[in-house]
Amino acid sequence: MTIKKISKDAFGKFVDGLIKQQKVMGPCAKGDRFEFEQLDSSSQLRLDYDVTLRPPNRKYFLPPVETLLTCEVGGGYQSVYDDTEFVLLGIHPYDLAALNQMDQIFSRDNYDTHYMKRRLAATIIACDVVTPSKDVFAASMGTATAEAGFDVLLTDIGDSYLMETGSPKGEKLIEKAQGAVDAAAGDLEKRKNIWKENQGRLSKHKLNCSSSYLPKLLEKAYSHPVWEEKAKTCFSCGSCNQVCPTCYCFNVQDDVSWDFTKGTRQRAWDGCLLDGFTKVAGEHEFRKKREDRFRHRLYRKGKYVPEKLGTKTPACVGCGRCVSACLPDIANPVNIYNRLIDDLGLE
Amino acid sequence: MSKPRIAIFDFACCEGCQLQIVNLEEELLDLIDAVDVVEWREAMSEQSHEYDIAIIEGSITRPEDEKRIEVIRSRAKILIALGACATIGGVNKLKNNFDLADVKKCVYGKSADMPHLDTALTKALDEVVKVDYKIHGCPIDRKEFTYIVRSLLMGKTPDIPLYPVCVECKAKGNPCLWDEGQVCLGPIIRAGCGARCPSFGFRCFGCRGYVDNPNVNAAKDIIEKYGLTTDVLKSKMLLFGSMQEPTNA
Repeated sequence: MTIKKISKDAFGKFVDGLIKQQKVMGPCAKGDRFEFEQLDSSSQLRLDYDVTLRPPNRKYFLPPVETLLTCEVGGGYQSVYDDTEFVLLGIHPYDLAALNQMDQIFSRDNYDTHYMKRRLAATIIACDVVTPSKDVFAASMGTATAEAGFDVLLTDIGDSYLMETGSPKGEKLIEKAQGAVDAAAGDLEKRKNIWKENQGRLSKHKLNCSSSYLPKLLEKAYSHPVWEEKAKTCFSCGSCNQVCPTCYCFNVQDDVSWDFTKGTRQRAWDGCLLDGFTKVAGEHEFRKKREDRFRHRLYRKGKYVPEKLGTKTPACVGCGRCVSACLPDIANPVNIYNRLIDDLGLE
Repeated sequence: MSKPRIAIFDFACCEGCQLQIVNLEEELLDLIDAVDVVEWREAMSEQSHEYDIAIIEGSITRPEDEKRIEVIRSRAKILIALGACATIGGVNKLKNNFDLADVKKCVYGKSADMPHLDTALTKALDEVVKVDYKIHGCPIDRKEFTYIVRSLLMGKTPDIPLYPVCVECKAKGNPCLWDEGQVCLGPIIRAGCGARCPSFGFRCFGCRGYVDNPNVNAAKDIIEKYGLTTDVLKSKMLLFGSMQEPTNA
């Protein structure tokens, strides 16, 4: 592990150098919001962003729509992969936690070659949060700062960035950074303070229990009235799913050419809140009620996924996107989990 | 295998959805290679009473239209409603908000009472006959049209979204227009358009009709949250959502 310090000017030149060699995706302004885009120049980079509209991990590793294969009558099928090298620059610790979780999901039981080829071709430069978003609650989910899972971690310490490497890939990358010097003890102290401050700053909503307690809390909450109460005003619009960095469900659809000799198979983002999400053959639908779908999302985040992966971290990383995106204001996981704690108590 | 025979008919409409089919350009040749088009007033002179699939643009606005659509229905194995006028009544349903005598007078002036200008309340096709498939939108989306036709030719049920426009809008990374002060109908209107209007900064006008199960309670809630009145929301729904279940706005 190396920790270097680089002035913001020199960092800009370093990024411009990277852009000449490969695709670099970073946070850019989109109106008064932010979104990860491919950079043409380091001047577009907004590392002071609060949160991006779409989670970068999904946008780049599980894109909204992708072609999985093409086929031809008598010609078999060909899988379609994208393994173009690129740098994902500026991903916040909470989205990084989501990325690392998604890596496990897509590599464990069924190794997803489409996802993993893109993932292995990417270099991840994470960045500590400079501006907290209005609904971020990463501190409650243990994702306000990052300890691992990055190739390089950036921290803005005023006129410079600290760059910590987390992998040989990261080491190799920052060798190219002209003007970077070894970080001094005082710089590390500054970074430690920023991490400490971010625990408080990234806490716009506060969960009244340890996030590792959520599976146990939900064990006794299946029949709680909160699901029906909240779902009364749920549009089932799936906005909470679509903006979530840990939602990974997709739907697969086939299409054919007009002469019916060629076909393509695509997958697209799906969401468990949506009407028809659980529709199966014979028109059977096992979560037809709004409240059942509403409950399912909170169970995925708090119980099913952490239990599946055997981790203490929930599948909610506290980015707050669902809180901001939900028009009737019912999606906030912290409000729901706290309500359950109030009613059911902590053991 | 003989090619399926397709006939395309129109009722009260602007013919813009048929124009979208003509506008398929090169792909139109693929379409007419795959099917046998036996009648299509907008694009050819021939006529036929024998067809497997009837594609209908327009809404039903006169008693004689009802008779005509019933005859078409009896001849077709599959009947497809093409575009908002056919699927939900469309802009034509605005008329249902007013007294019919006033409407006629407003449009036809002195000739309003001529018998051939008689008019009735506007109906979507499925208020008169059984509709097998709906191709939504004003106008229809060409890609969706060709996908649906190909699916039917393969004997496969096309996948038409049950979910609202927000899904496609969020997937595109659009900022929410409600945050920008627009009264967007995205949360209750059927997707499939790729959130075309919101992607260009215009609120959803609702041309694809309501989702099967729109949450009217939720709509009332956000009216309060954003300091609006029910009348404001109703006025935004008027263009495509007039006098329709479940809101009857």
